[in-house]
Amino acid sequence: METAVFRLEGVTKRYGDLVALDNATLSAGENEYISFLGPSGSGKTTLLRVIAGFEQPEQGRVYFQGRDITNTPAHERGIGFVFQNFALFPHLTVIQNIGFGLTHGKHGLSAAEIDRRSREMIDLVGLSGMEDRGVDQISGGQRQRVALARTLTMQPKLVLLDEPLGALDANLRGRMRNELRAIRERLGVTFVHVTGSENEALAMGDRVVVLDRGRIIQSGTSDQIYDTPASPDVAHFLNRFNMFDGTLSGNQFSGVFGTAPVSRASRADRDVYAIRYDRMRVLPVSATPDGPAVKATFIAAEYLGSSIMNFFEASDGHVIEMEHHLSLGAPDSYEPRQDYLLTWNPEQAIVFGREAA
Amino acid sequence: MSDTLTIEKRQNATTRLLLAPGIIWMCLFLVAPILMIVYVSFWTQTTFTISPEPTLASWKQFFGSATYTGSLWTTIRIWLIVLTTTFLVGYPTALFVGLLIKSKTLSTILLVICVIPFWTSFLIRVLAWRPMLGKEGAVNIVLMKLGIIREPIEVLLFTELSVIIGMTQIYCVFMVGPIAFMLARIDRNIIEAARDLGAGFGRIFWKIIFPLSLPGVVVGSIFVSVMVLGEFATSGALSGRKVNLLGNIIVTQVGSLKWAMASVVGVILTVVIGIVIAGFLRIVDLKREL
Repeated sequence: METAVFRLEGVTKRYGDLVALDNATLSAGENEYISFLGPSGSGKTTLLRVIAGFEQPEQGRVYFQGRDITNTPAHERGIGFVFQNFALFPHLTVIQNIGFGLTHGKHGLSAAEIDRRSREMIDLVGLSGMEDRGVDQISGGQRQRVALARTLTMQPKLVLLDEPLGALDANLRGRMRNELRAIRERLGVTFVHVTGSENEALAMGDRVVVLDRGRIIQSGTSDQIYDTPASPDVAHFLNRFNMFDGTLSGNQFSGVFGTAPVSRASRADRDVYAIRYDRMRVLPVSATPDGPAVKATFIAAEYLGSSIMNFFEASDGHVIEMEHHLSLGAPDSYEPRQDYLLTWNPEQAIVFGREAA
Repeated sequence: MSDTLTIEKRQNATTRLLLAPGIIWMCLFLVAPILMIVYVSFWTQTTFTISPEPTLASWKQFFGSATYTGSLWTTIRIWLIVLTTTFLVGYPTALFVGLLIKSKTLSTILLVICVIPFWTSFLIRVLAWRPMLGKEGAVNIVLMKLGIIREPIEVLLFTELSVIIGMTQIYCVFMVGPIAFMLARIDRNIIEAARDLGAGFGRIFWKIIFPLSLPGVVVGSIFVSVMVLGEFATSGALSGRKVNLLGNIIVTQVGSLKWAMASVVGVILTVVIGIVIAGFLRIVDLKREL
């Protein structure tokens, strides 16, 4: 069992009437990459700021390396924070930004030592040759690295990253994802990464913590979250499932697609039937399906590189998505405004219900 | 090739046409008058007339008289003191209005309050200091009633001190405005980042906040300098004629129709102001910062 680097116990934070964090309890081990995933306003950034010490919680305690730091000011916590917009010091050069944290008297470092450590960190994040540039003379990706290096020079045990890839373009985001992971593994510190993108969270996190309206609604490894979302909200937020409302009774779920057998269901506050986009199959409208099926009109297809996303519209206006992985063969082409039957294997569905045990 | 050349030529022509009104305006109302003043400073002045025969007489008279050179040093001394006092009073005010107050509405309201004295005329603002600082003025009355002093303080009015107090009050807001503007533009995350990196308040101020507000300090200093160096009314009204600035000399010389001498002082004042502005502009690259 790993020792917890930080632990939250029943942390609650309000802004006026708004409950930004509701009784959040969580612990994180050493040498872990944790993603906080949630829609905007879900409290994920607030949670990060509470851990960093920029916000005081109304209730609950925050522990870091076994110590209660709830009332410790931010700069005495030894926790690194990488800001969403990087928050670099605009009047300093790259190396001055990176060395800033080392230049306070209490470290007692000589100028040569500060310079050596800063250069070491510049090498680590791959910015060699940029030392004396101003931070407005480098690209977005390079600024991201400066922000990270500036935090890492302080040798924190825990680094908090607030939507670190949000300000970068898609291509750079992919590259920085790998870089961040590699840098973390080399240093062996725990990273907590806040993001609103389910792809980023699932790709980056050893562990993903899903937040919604100030509550932690699920915490687990990426495949746990992906394969067994804990609630309809999690499934919805993963943006990977067609969700149907209906009624669960006994081993049957009835909805717009007729009645389907249910082998296993999770307890939730409403009855929802979820089936992953890539589990859907398309049949001609005249076919006789051997499982549940919905009649829907083909609208459009989107080419995603490794797969194609097909959009259908059911008679009630509900959009149903079907993902076809190109590795499985050439895609069928569908006629716009034509009706098709969408079906799936009911074994692969994820069912939520009030009745479920 | 020839196409691009004609396009460039046409662009040049358009640029010149667009710049013309500004250039003509500046030539007519700035360059020409300055050249005229320089020219007149070499004219020959007799008691009642002035004639354009070139002479160095007025220049010699200026640099040969202790009164005139003394007023040059007084001007520079008062300028340096007022610059310091407006900065010392203005910077903390700007820090409070621009940075410490989180609400934008409140900081706008406070800035407007700073400007309210400007709703009254300049002379009234200056003269209002007389009943404040006088021997039987408000300050002395309050201090005596409180028992802090027994005899009224006489150096408060009609001294260099009263000129400095008056000018500081009048010009302070020109220091506060630009500094508060620069401070308000600082991203709060930068300050949090510095705090997260272990910097205490002093280091955050000297290494982050002050350097980032420096362009505001420079602009404010230029405003204050230009106005203080050209001052004559405050010193006239509050010094009891004891403090003679270059501006006061110009006023008296023009009043007695001594155009040549007034021009000499005008040229000297213009040169001093030019040096001061050039000096301030060397501190920061305003084009880059604003």
